[in-house]
Amino acid sequence: MTTNTTSERFTVPIGPQHPALKEPGAFRFNVDGEIVTSATVRLGYAHRGIEKLAENQNWVQNIYLFERTCGICSHTHATTYCLGVEKLAGVEVSPRVSAIRTLVAELERIHSHLLWLGVSAHEAGFDTLFMFGWRDRETVMDLLEMISGNRVNYSVNILGGVKVDVTPEIVEQILAGVDLLEERTKHYLDVVSTDAGFLQRTRGVGVMTREQAEALGAVGPTARASGVARDLRVDAPYLSYSDFPVQMILDDRGDLEARFVVRLRELFESYRLLRELVTHMPEGELATRMPRRIKAGETVSRLEAPRGDVFYFIQSNGSDKPARVHVRTPTVCNMTSVVKLALGHQLADVPLILAGIDPCFSCNDR
Amino acid sequence: MDTTEALALAKEVAGAWTWETELVEPEENRLDIHLKNAGDLAAAATEIQANRLGYLAAITGIDLGAEAGELEALYHFCQAGAVITLRIRLPRENPVVATLTGIIPGAEPFERELSEMFGVTVEGLRAPNHLYLPEDWPDEVFPQRKDFDPAVLDGEAERSV
Repeated sequence: MTTNTTSERFTVPIGPQHPALKEPGAFRFNVDGEIVTSATVRLGYAHRGIEKLAENQNWVQNIYLFERTCGICSHTHATTYCLGVEKLAGVEVSPRVSAIRTLVAELERIHSHLLWLGVSAHEAGFDTLFMFGWRDRETVMDLLEMISGNRVNYSVNILGGVKVDVTPEIVEQILAGVDLLEERTKHYLDVVSTDAGFLQRTRGVGVMTREQAEALGAVGPTARASGVARDLRVDAPYLSYSDFPVQMILDDRGDLEARFVVRLRELFESYRLLRELVTHMPEGELATRMPRRIKAGETVSRLEAPRGDVFYFIQSNGSDKPARVHVRTPTVCNMTSVVKLALGHQLADVPLILAGIDPCFSCNDR
Repeated sequence: MDTTEALALAKEVAGAWTWETELVEPEENRLDIHLKNAGDLAAAATEIQANRLGYLAAITGIDLGAEAGELEALYHFCQAGAVITLRIRLPRENPVVATLTGIIPGAEPFERELSEMFGVTVEGLRAPNHLYLPEDWPDEVFPQRKDFDPAVLDGEAERSV
């Protein structure tokens, strides 16, 4: 009797109904035993044709459309779009408008990073951290609801301004919420960098070197965890970030642990920024008049979303509708890295490597 | 490298190119390099990479309409706040461009999107199949072209069931 010594190769399909995430994406992993030898990704299951649709709607209607590009960083998308259109129209908004947009953007970053912490902990089989993380995330969700009336799609922006104001009562609540969250985040940072069981899943897993991150065009915390110094809030301050600067958080280890550490340490910067912002809120009008037609031209609008650099290319032909809007979300850039990083790893590590980039399929499908 | 340094270096580098180019500064943080010959794209992108003028942040496709008979592809490279864009014109009929994935592996999803949404053939792309559109999407129908008519999809829903 002969034994078949050549190893057998299988293809493991995961998705389109992703077993852990709540969004659709299809991956095919070719495995040799337990080791991934090649991987491909297929997207588009949540493709809504937003870019095409935008060409048939007027400038105002499009705020609501682009806000719905992503359910997690909706404010980022609406703000990137509004900043671009305001630049095209040559309209200056007041410092108070910028400050309120910054405030909501940072609250959104906190909610997004805590959401991600929970999801990733769950993928690593650490459901206690998932439950606690999401319980504490409710604090920031309540703050967002208090400011805007919504838990998702805050709809804070209008062209030339914001719809909501920050009252002294809201400031008080934000300060109290931030104190609580800061305390909890310290604990989580301690857990993800000391818990032996958790570290077995993250330390040295899914390592992306700085060179790889640069070649693959990684952005956001995923890139910063590999030592790539790229953060638009620091490199090209927009909104109120020039008056209220943030420190860039970098880690050069490039593994999953570094991605946890970078995101959690970014939260402390957000807490500090929020405290400064609400105690030094600039005065100003909440809205500036915008023309209905935007003069012909094109612009590039970029913002640092929780997941990285969001890129909008907006072209106007002088009518009341955009001629072309192209949206590139951070997940598109980071998705290539998942397919590359999975190679050589155990199949069981793949879910956490995917979660490590904080993927948003709704974003990258548009 | 900050925004101003990146723009200055880009101007210097692109100014020295022997390929037919036209430099335009549409905004204070942007430099558009119009490449007259689409064949120079890969070489120009290599130069941009070699001078570390940012990462390929996006590829924007624009349909200039049936009358103009052209498409435009914009390759945006970002360094800090600077956006350096290589712009090429392609004929609407049978547009072909070489892939950049050999130089920039991260270009793959952008090129596949350009290809399926605008009908640009990207030569040398490892997996030229659909990334976003459904498998049963009709051939030669490119949804982001200006003359795309959703009526061509009528009946497609029944077919795929």
